[in-house]
Amino acid sequence: MASEDFSFPFFYSYPPYFTLQPVQETREKQSGLWRDLILKYCKHYKVYKLSIDSTDELPLFVNKAIDRRLSSEARAAFVSDLVKQGNAQWLDKLQRQVLILWKRLDEWAATIHSWARESGLEDMVTTVEELSSGDDTRGTELDGLPHELLIQALRLLEARGKAKLFKGTSADDEGVKFFA
Amino acid sequence: MKRRPGIQGLQRGAQTRDHYKQLGEAVQQTKLEHMKAQMAVFKKSLEEFAIKHRNDVRQDPVFRAQFHTMCANVGVDPLASNKGMWAQLLGFGDFYYELGVQIVEACLATRAQNGGLMDLEALQRYVQRRRGSLAEPVSEDDIIRAIDKLKKLGGGYAVFQVGKQRLVRSVPGELNTDKNTVLELAQGKGYVSQQGVQEATRWSDTRTKETLWSLLKEGLAMLDDGAPDRQRLFWFPCLESASSTAQQQ
Repeated sequence: MASEDFSFPFFYSYPPYFTLQPVQETREKQSGLWRDLILKYCKHYKVYKLSIDSTDELPLFVNKAIDRRLSSEARAAFVSDLVKQGNAQWLDKLQRQVLILWKRLDEWAATIHSWARESGLEDMVTTVEELSSGDDTRGTELDGLPHELLIQALRLLEARGKAKLFKGTSADDEGVKFFA
Repeated sequence: MKRRPGIQGLQRGAQTRDHYKQLGEAVQQTKLEHMKAQMAVFKKSLEEFAIKHRNDVRQDPVFRAQFHTMCANVGVDPLASNKGMWAQLLGFGDFYYELGVQIVEACLATRAQNGGLMDLEALQRYVQRRRGSLAEPVSEDDIIRAIDKLKKLGGGYAVFQVGKQRLVRSVPGELNTDKNTVLELAQGKGYVSQQGVQEATRWSDTRTKETLWSLLKEGLAMLDDGAPDRQRLFWFPCLESASSTAQQQ
């Protein structure tokens, strides 16, 4: 799926959408379109982390065909709006890196839990790392999930009594046990 | 030898005038009756025509436009009432009522992007797509007629000309001449710069800025600071062609 070309919406080829609009109403509409695009793009290419640094040449923020790019300021503005609506989390205090949640945390938790049930992993201990990079999850939605996201989803399951996390000596050997 | 007018001569003159008058009245009366009869025949023919070509009128936009012209020439307005023979014969009331609703929908759906001004052709495509490929085609003429009916409801619906382009307005208020001039200058490219406007119009700095910024505030223009030459541009989504609006959906 990720190999297919992503089709950008109309506004991506309309130059003023790359400038933060000064008029409130227009700005809100603009932010809405960008938020939607960011989520769709990241989902399509399985991008979990974005940098808001304007030197980043990610095609999402740079349209070479019309010679326009989103400034750091604009990227930060739209990403902040994503954070506000629960579809992103800042990864650092300086707010340069962001975790994009095209599925909300509870949706990821549900996906992980149903995968574990289908694979017969209930009541067994697996390492957290295996969930995103093990052989069993290759080709599934969980393949390549970043650790930050995985841990949060598992904690959510733990809070609901559907999993138990075991601390290891390092991030590599954290374990998890799933319950029905 | 010259005869002076006698009493008889005068009487004869008056008689002749009376005769002429009576004759004239009689002729006029016949003419009027004749006309009435003709109109009745005509109305009947028009009705027959409408019944006979009902499907053509409903399905063929070009034919429909010609039918409207014909009706207008003889002072008949098939849209004047929802009731009566025209609505029954042609289903016109429903057709334009439906079209009106679709136009309002299209204008509302795109207002956030275009600020309430939409290219007529873009609107036509939008409505056409919304109706689906099975519905009868809709012409520009139909759109304009439907908007004309919407006008009566208030809300500012109107069609107006800017340069070569016809735009549909769905927000109350008039564009003043300055704004109109700017829109006209933006035609073709879709944008203007402050400098470009000033060079073309010889307006003062303040007048140009004021016009451009009030277009921005009304949501009719968008700012673009990303041009490679650092020149600040003002874009007008309402001038975008029909094809690009189509892709938005």
